[in-house]
Amino acid sequence: MAWGGCGVQTEVMNPAGDLALRASDLRYAYGDRVAVDGVSFELAPGEVLGLLGPNGAGKSTTIKMLIGLLPPQAGSIEVLGMAMTEHRSAIQARLGVVFEEKNLYPTLSGRENLAFFARLFARRDVDLDALLERVGLATRGRDRVSGYSKGMRQRLTVARALLNRPDVLVLDEPTDGLDPVSARSIRGLIREEAERGVAVLLTTHDMYEADGLSDRVAFIDEGRILALDTPEQLKLRHGQRTVRVRRRVDGQVEESVVTLDDDAGDRLRELVAAEGLLTIHTEEATLEDVFVAFAGRRLE
Amino acid sequence: MASHPVTAIIAKDLRLFLRDRFYAFITVLGLGFYVLVFWLLPATADPSIPIGLHLPGGEALLAEALEDEADQGIEVVVFTSSQELEAAVLAGDEVVAGLDFPPEFLAATASGTPTSARVLLTGEAPTVLSDALSAVVAELALAIAGQQPPVTFPEVEELVLGVDRADQVLSWREQLRPLLLLIVLLVEMFALASLVATEISQRTITAILATPARVRDVLAAKTLLGTALAFSQAVVLAAVTATLTRQVVLLLVVLLLGAVLVTGFGLVAGSLGQDFIAIVFWSMVLFVPLVVPAFAMLFPGTPALWIRVLPTYGLAETLVRVTGYGEGWTQVWPELALLSAWCVAASLLGAVVLGRRVVRV
Repeated sequence: MAWGGCGVQTEVMNPAGDLALRASDLRYAYGDRVAVDGVSFELAPGEVLGLLGPNGAGKSTTIKMLIGLLPPQAGSIEVLGMAMTEHRSAIQARLGVVFEEKNLYPTLSGRENLAFFARLFARRDVDLDALLERVGLATRGRDRVSGYSKGMRQRLTVARALLNRPDVLVLDEPTDGLDPVSARSIRGLIREEAERGVAVLLTTHDMYEADGLSDRVAFIDEGRILALDTPEQLKLRHGQRTVRVRRRVDGQVEESVVTLDDDAGDRLRELVAAEGLLTIHTEEATLEDVFVAFAGRRLE
Repeated sequence: MASHPVTAIIAKDLRLFLRDRFYAFITVLGLGFYVLVFWLLPATADPSIPIGLHLPGGEALLAEALEDEADQGIEVVVFTSSQELEAAVLAGDEVVAGLDFPPEFLAATASGTPTSARVLLTGEAPTVLSDALSAVVAELALAIAGQQPPVTFPEVEELVLGVDRADQVLSWREQLRPLLLLIVLLVEMFALASLVATEISQRTITAILATPARVRDVLAAKTLLGTALAFSQAVVLAAVTATLTRQVVLLLVVLLLGAVLVTGFGLVAGSLGQDFIAIVFWSMVLFVPLVVPAFAMLFPGTPALWIRVLPTYGLAETLVRVTGYGEGWTQVWPELALLSAWCVAASLLGAVVLGRRVVRV
């Protein structure tokens, strides 16, 4: 089935049933430096899994193994029911990848870049114009990529990842360094693909992006997954919820922060009953707070 | 019909090559320059050595001597005064050396009276020429005096070891032909290296390898395109310089092997270089030793051993022998075999180095 243009949805083929990707106990070391140390997770069709961690946490090495560029030194990868070691080409034919770097050919046009990769996927039926329109590059498709802005290049790499109508999308820092409009556009495309049933693995060090896009989030640091759950559960279980109360006392603004624990009720009633109440704000823990709770350091 | 990754990569690389203004410029300019140089060079070679002679009153004797010396590759030019002879030797256009005899030389020599003669040479003349001309003076004196040396000359048998090319002197045009062909091939090494290095440094190689395309597809595509680019340009130059007039199939095979050879080294240079400066550096590191055998062909004699072990020696030697001396398969097969072996080695080296580089990206 060809791309039908903007807004036309296609069904994802998933003969393996409920699982799009399974990584089991992945390990990889560059010499003495262990980059990935026993990473395991599963990804279902239509699910967005955010892999959240600071630079050097092992995200990119994990991605390289998942897309077949780097053979794991230990562990196994299964995509759509196929083992990576035995079916690498078949798996790659059904993967869409956005790399952290904008690895495009600058002297080719956006359309020529897409046409080349379509040939590598043996997809001659792709409607490149529709795809360019979908990422907002319809009017610039015949221009050389060297004249594109960073946001346009990133949108083109997203279009490239969608060329083969993938069942699994692997996105490595897809909005890194982009302006808010381009970033929003790419997040919209990710949501559309997930709604179509595509399994999405998203690496980012932007906690708000991970929180807003991901069905589940995995914290990774020093090559290990520290926690894996929905953003809500992570924040509820491991973050502190607080109430911030502001009052005017003797002409000065005074702020009190109450942690929502067993004794919070009495303290809050006391603050609210007092004179000079200005504002009351409830505050949820952020994924950043949860990461700090696990890793003992902030995301960089 | 599904497109094979190799053809897709070749088509993409060809487009990138044609859009690279630098390589398009040096390719067109280079070919034009080589063709111009070739056709400007002399097409004929004069193997005789012109010697000036001033021998007052000895013109008849000289006429007889001229006929003998012409067979020995020496051309005698007679001058009527010492001043004219000196000026001609100094200018170096008409003669390379001169023999100047005084007016009394014939009479003095015939009567046994001591006399002298001058051998005129420029500072660049080899000492062996001075010795030879001194011997000519002595022989001339003996002939004039009607005497023979007090020895019986042994019979001398001249044996030329290897191929006798004494009477097959090549013109400058013929001598430079293999050098130009080799340079055209080697310049393509730069272009291929650039294509490979750019693919690695821009990390587009990772995007390719995340598709069903494999490292072997990339290697095959780069090798095929590099070989095709180098071969096609060498064939164009060969055609324009009227090289493909004899032993056409043999020459095409030689040029094809040459293209394969430089492609292997182009892959190596491209894998080692990460930017333009590094590509130029590594290409030059490979270019200099590879071009040496072609320069060695400009000088007579068998090249030194270190030149004969260079990868392009078989290529240069085969080109010289086929284009210059009209030799065929039966004569040049050892050099062709050597060239083929180097092709295999260079291709393997290029594949290994690029393959290792690609998986490390």
